Amino acid sequence: MAEYLRARTVDEALEALARKPFRILAGGTDVYPAAVGGPIRDPILDISGLSALRGITREADGYWRIGALTTWTDVLRADLPPWFDGLKLAAREVGGVQIQTAGTVAGNVCNASPAADGVVPLMAMDAAVEVSGADGTRVEPLDAFITGPRRTTRQPGELVTALLIPDAGAPGVSDFLKLGARHYLVISIAMVAVVLHRAPESRRIVRAGVAVGSCSPVARRLRGLEAVLCEADAGAPLEDLAQENHFAPLSPIDDVRATAGYRREAARTLVRRALSTCREALA
Amino acid sequence: MALTLNMTVNGKARKVTVESNALLSDVLRVNLGLTGTHVGCDTSQCGACTVHVDGVSVKSCTMLAAQADGATITTIEGLAAPDGTLHPMQAAFKEHHGLQCGFCTPGMVMSAVDLARCEPNASEEQIREWLEGNICRCTGYHNIVKAVKTGLTDMQSGGKVAAE
Ligand SMILES: Cc1cc2nc3c(=O)[nH]c(=O)nc-3n(C[C@H](O)[C@H](O)[C@H](O)COP(=O)(O)OP(=O)(O)OC[C@H]3O[C@@H](n4cnc5c(N)ncnc54)[C@H](O)[C@@H]3O)c2cc1C
Ligand code: FES
Ligand code: FES
Repeated sequence: MAEYLRARTVDEALEALARKPFRILAGGTDVYPAAVGGPIRDPILDISGLSALRGITREADGYWRIGALTTWTDVLRADLPPWFDGLKLAAREVGGVQIQTAGTVAGNVCNASPAADGVVPLMAMDAAVEVSGADGTRVEPLDAFITGPRRTTRQPGELVTALLIPDAGAPGVSDFLKLGARHYLVISIAMVAVVLHRAPESRRIVRAGVAVGSCSPVARRLRGLEAVLCEADAGAPLEDLAQENHFAPLSPIDDVRATAGYRREAARTLVRRALSTCREALA
Repeated sequence: MALTLNMTVNGKARKVTVESNALLSDVLRVNLGLTGTHVGCDTSQCGACTVHVDGVSVKSCTMLAAQADGATITTIEGLAAPDGTLHPMQAAFKEHHGLQCGFCTPGMVMSAVDLARCEPNASEEQIREWLEGNICRCTGYHNIVKAVKTGLTDMQSGGKVAAE
């Protein structure tokens, strides 16, 4: 019968992982549904008690640190600058209250679903993943960490310990929009996050992040559009800067939820809407 | 791997020996006979299995019993007073006919009681958003929302507060 181990410290968790490929259990809100009613047969390493990894802090080196056990409810309750609003909007989309209280931001990332809502604002914020193993700690950009549907560069002996977000050091705003077949409890057809920072003394945009989810195997940044947005005047109609070729990184598919063509159109519309919301908020 | 767990369930100390991968929902229903906690899905979606663990509502199908070792648990059976007087939220569901078949009701009530902790003056919109994780296939939700609204008010106005 399956082994169950509740880690009391990060070191204890890493020692266990070095020993055998445990299934890591954080909030369990992806692990249990994935078992679809059957018993969980993998040996379980329960990390939900690692309270040292819970919470959002601003580090001295200009990074925001989201500990791996930080839940969606923790994100919603945290006092964060406005450019975290997109992440908060995504937090409210993840399941209902009980799922938000249990589910973690890092679990959403490690599960690597193409429809993971949290991944999209995190990408737009330039997030990186802190991964710890027996040999120490490495930090990898989020868009390199997730390599495909349900695939990441995490090795069996490794534990994700935090998500790191650089502070642009400039006032910023953000938005997140999710399109689903109905409002509540659905898997996304498309979702979009935009994060914009402007120069402290002018309306010039100095940093732009635009990411789209559910329209490719892994959420994608629209780097061409980001480049055009940087240096733009925040008062100008930013939504008109989004051009057809900026959406080339997307490769939407037809599935039960929507056709590829509908997804492409939805992504364009959501990006325009999010840009216009951000422009109004920046002005 | 068998584990022996200690938990306080509806005010009583309980000791159970269960398999390491047993779900809390199964242990409550099978080992402890508390079948008021319902299981309506295998995808963590329906919310029929909602109970309180250390005062917070959780989906008991989305938690191993092992994770509840040492915890204080309240199920629907633990809400009414020992003399059978209904908890204000239960009374409100009865008054507003907030149920038809009743399958979703234990989870709805447990979720709604947790709402009183977080948002005692919740608006209709907040109630609907809060109940996002509780699915009802019968009522169309209107009477449930009315019941929760009344239940929240009655819990404040001296009605008996959840025994937890
Ligand atoms: C009803 C319902 C609705 C949902 N709705 C949404 C939604 O709208 N949008 C959305 O994006 N998601 C949704 N989800 C999915 C899920 O809630 C989220 O992905 C959540 O953030 C997962 O976090 P968790 O802590 O529960 O992960 P877990 O289930 O504990 O773990 C998920 C995966 O990540 C691994 N893992 C977890 N933490 C670590 C770590 N620190 N290091 C290494 N590996 C780790 C686990 O081994 C597992 O493979 C929903 C789930 C349910 C049940
Ligand atoms: S049985 Fe737990 S959510 Fe459906
Ligand atoms: S009353 Fe039948 S499911 Fe809600």
